[in-house]
Amino acid sequence: MADRLLFFLLISLAIAGIFVSRDALSKGSDVIIEVDGKPTYTLPLYTDRLLSVVGPHGDTLVEIQGGKVRVKEAHCRNQICVREGWVSRGVIVCLPNKLVIIVGGSNKYKKQGLDAITG
Amino acid sequence: MLKAYLFILLFVCLLLNSCSSDKLSTYQKSKALLDTYVTITVVADSQVAADMAIENAFDVIERFGDMVNFFSDRSELSAINRSAGVREVGVSAETLDIIEKAIYVSDKSGGAFDPTIGPEIRLWDFINKTKPSDLEIRKNLPLVNYKNIIIDKGKSTVFLKKKGMLLDLGGIAKGYAADLAVEALKHKGITSGLVAIAGDIKAFGLKPDRKPWIVGIKNPRQKIVEDEVIARLPLIDKAISTAGDYERYFIAGGQRFHHLLIPRTGYPAYACQSVSLISDEGAMTDGFDTALFVLGPEKGLALAKEMGMDAMIIDDKGAIHTTSGLQGKLTIERNY
Repeated sequence: MADRLLFFLLISLAIAGIFVSRDALSKGSDVIIEVDGKPTYTLPLYTDRLLSVVGPHGDTLVEIQGGKVRVKEAHCRNQICVREGWVSRGVIVCLPNKLVIIVGGSNKYKKQGLDAITG
Repeated sequence: MLKAYLFILLFVCLLLNSCSSDKLSTYQKSKALLDTYVTITVVADSQVAADMAIENAFDVIERFGDMVNFFSDRSELSAINRSAGVREVGVSAETLDIIEKAIYVSDKSGGAFDPTIGPEIRLWDFINKTKPSDLEIRKNLPLVNYKNIIIDKGKSTVFLKKKGMLLDLGGIAKGYAADLAVEALKHKGITSGLVAIAGDIKAFGLKPDRKPWIVGIKNPRQKIVEDEVIARLPLIDKAISTAGDYERYFIAGGQRFHHLLIPRTGYPAYACQSVSLISDEGAMTDGFDTALFVLGPEKGLALAKEMGMDAMIIDDKGAIHTTSGLQGKLTIERNY
């Protein structure tokens, strides 16, 4: 009897463990900042902050506020990253500064059964 | 007895884990290119094969981007713009081809899409929420006319007839690049994949589970995170692009001012919130989505049908209009 109880307990734990770990992994990080192709910062999306990121064209000021992210200031010529404005999901790119800000992850798409989003 | 149970437990765990790794043959990489984020997903039998094909496709996109970069002094496009009204400029086959396609979209849409809209676009400051004066807008209008792009295919040259004209291929380049990337992947033996250059997406083949790639369409008036997607549809050997008034805009005096300008007037078009277009070719979906946005739902759907494309148009009231080809394929999300 004890063997059976132990068996079912272990089975339950094993199955629960698989689903818990899957869920934990799929949540991912809220804001990932890559510099020159390497993940440099991982930040929660729902904690407001200002962050200065060093790049070839000087410091880029990244702002997180109310679940959104923007490049507040950058010293690149085209200001494409600044023009993106606030982003709650997606990516902001500053090629001159080799900076990529990923807001939310592709896991969110997969959770919704999507392979990509247009728009 | 306990050993037998533990053996069964081990077997069950192995079975569950083997079932859970259902993405073994799907590989994905992302890279910052074309001033945006490019994600390529391929179905392959090994990581090595996938990496080689994806990196090659990235290289193809990067080389193309270098030629048509509006902001780089070294691009062929900048050379054309610097020489506007002065002389013709020799260009590569790809640059000539994309300009020809841009002129084709302009012609077919009666000028609703115009790659020479640059002098008007540059007047709008979407960061500082500044609208240009009516006079400034009127002054630059004579510089906007795709018919003043002169191409000599024999010599592979491009000439902008008026000084001050600006050719901007931003309205078609990402879709064109998706086409190039898909061809590059196929050339490396990939038979199924998805290239997403920001919202310009092209899919080919089926996923490992023999199901089509599924693409969500962004809600143009998203209020909460759960509202992000308004509809979804399967994509098999097709491209999809979306033009929306929520990408670059500001609101002043209760009015939304966005970047999708009517080439004839220089002011934003207001008949739609977003246009999603599906066809075989990324360059066409990317170019024509802007044209349909400017034309509005009625004329836009008529043009889509004429061109053999499928479209989903959300009008200024939020109502959804589609071509008949999307019936039975498009799923509208429950919360819309």
